[in-house]
Amino acid sequence: MIRLNNVSMKFNLGIEATSIKETFISLFDKKRRKRKDRNEFWALKNVNFEVKKGEVVGIIGSNGAGKSTTLKIVSGVMKPTEGTVEVDGVISPMIELGAGFDAELTARENIFLNGAILGYSKKFLEQKFDEIVEFSELKDFLDVPIKNFSSGMTAKLAFSIATIVNPEILIVDEILSVGDMRFQEKSKKKMMEMINGGTTVLYVSHSLQSIRDLCSKVIWLEHGQIVMAGKADKVCDAYYKAQTKEA
Amino acid sequence: MFKNIISNFNRYKFLLYQLISRDFKVKYKRSVLGVLWSLLQPILMMAVMATVFSQMFKFSVPGVNYLVYLMTGIIMFNYFSEATNNAMTSVVMNFTLINKVYIPKYIFPIAKCLFVGINFLLTLIPWLGIIILSHFGLGNYACPFSIWYILLPYIFLCFLMFTVGIGMLVSCVSVFLRDVFYIYGIVLIIWNYLTPVFYSIEIIPPSIRTYFKLNPLYIFLTGVRSIVLFGQRPSLTQLGLMGLIGGTVLLLGLYVFKKKQDKFIYYV
Repeated sequence: MIRLNNVSMKFNLGIEATSIKETFISLFDKKRRKRKDRNEFWALKNVNFEVKKGEVVGIIGSNGAGKSTTLKIVSGVMKPTEGTVEVDGVISPMIELGAGFDAELTARENIFLNGAILGYSKKFLEQKFDEIVEFSELKDFLDVPIKNFSSGMTAKLAFSIATIVNPEILIVDEILSVGDMRFQEKSKKKMMEMINGGTTVLYVSHSLQSIRDLCSKVIWLEHGQIVMAGKADKVCDAYYKAQTKEA
Repeated sequence: MFKNIISNFNRYKFLLYQLISRDFKVKYKRSVLGVLWSLLQPILMMAVMATVFSQMFKFSVPGVNYLVYLMTGIIMFNYFSEATNNAMTSVVMNFTLINKVYIPKYIFPIAKCLFVGINFLLTLIPWLGIIILSHFGLGNYACPFSIWYILLPYIFLCFLMFTVGIGMLVSCVSVFLRDVFYIYGIVLIIWNYLTPVFYSIEIIPPSIRTYFKLNPLYIFLTGVRSIVLFGQRPSLTQLGLMGLIGGTVLLLGLYVFKKKQDKFIYYV
């Protein structure tokens, strides 16, 4: 279960430090910090929504609408400026694959490093190691430093590590198109498996087709606010209409 | 808050281990001697420093084995400066990670302090070697063996706590103010000269000597030196003071870090 109550997120666009003095003062002086609010930017403004257990919810909207910010707030990477987030269950964030890969290390070493970053336990990784390797199709390259990998190979490895869990909550930011065509099919199937396995899913994509295929409910964000939320087909149609009209 | 930290720590123990082992693997990648360098480097550095200070500058400290005196100072100060320096840059350098996955951010400075700490433990091997060799004519004085060596782990633990605390503080401040990277480098150089690493506190004029003795690094150094050079137990006040300094600085570092960590994401 995920619930966002009146969530707002403010970024300061002019955050670059102007001077040492200024920075030090603003570190300790709250009043002065407020004065710099001219450059503020609200990435999200009073967003409310709820995702029930087992629901698959898509988020659509144009670039900069606040989709990724929403995912980051749900996964705990960012704390909202205002409002609260309630998350019940273990999250597997697939916001960006291969976070923390070290190019100097071999694929084998990176499986453990990346797995640890994603919060897997040692025992779990040792159990699932063969499965990860097999899915990634990189058996022959296990002891090669990944700086020698092609970007497709790296992405395949990352995808295989990230999807090895059966999370209670899955957060996905447009990662279905990884690797060559065959692997894309395979990864799409794997995603479907995870999604259909009763997991709660929050899914961001620009592909309306995959949103329609996967999601039961869709939230349409624009300028940090919810424009529309409801049945997938209805929201997708409205969004498509608005997009084509502008163009 | 404390209980929270412990349970969090348990959950991320494996990650901590992975980060430290990553540092080791990357550090010694493609070097023929590999981890042996952790032993060789302090020996070679010591040899250079010992030659410079005892032969060229004619430094000595009356009544003690100057080599051991110097090496104790060097390895301890180097640990502190390398660990805090690495800790300082760790949060900023791992920003791509912090921005993508939720990880407790304090894990980065701690991993660095422990990684350098393991290296420090390795340098204790050549250090003990020099102490043993002092009985076979290395330097003018032999270092007495004593039962009080059992206190060394305690002192090193307090020293580690102090280092982690400072590392947390500088890593936190440097997120908001990148100038700290450069400022802290200078601070370390000054701190090095203000700490009796290669000279004796006796050469400092008595009027300002008290201030020198307030230096936490001096307190840790003196504790270790009185054990290895004189075979004496540091006074209970001194031992208590070390625990107090280590604990206070660690808690202060954790507190400031925890207070500010949610803001990191806007600054990196």
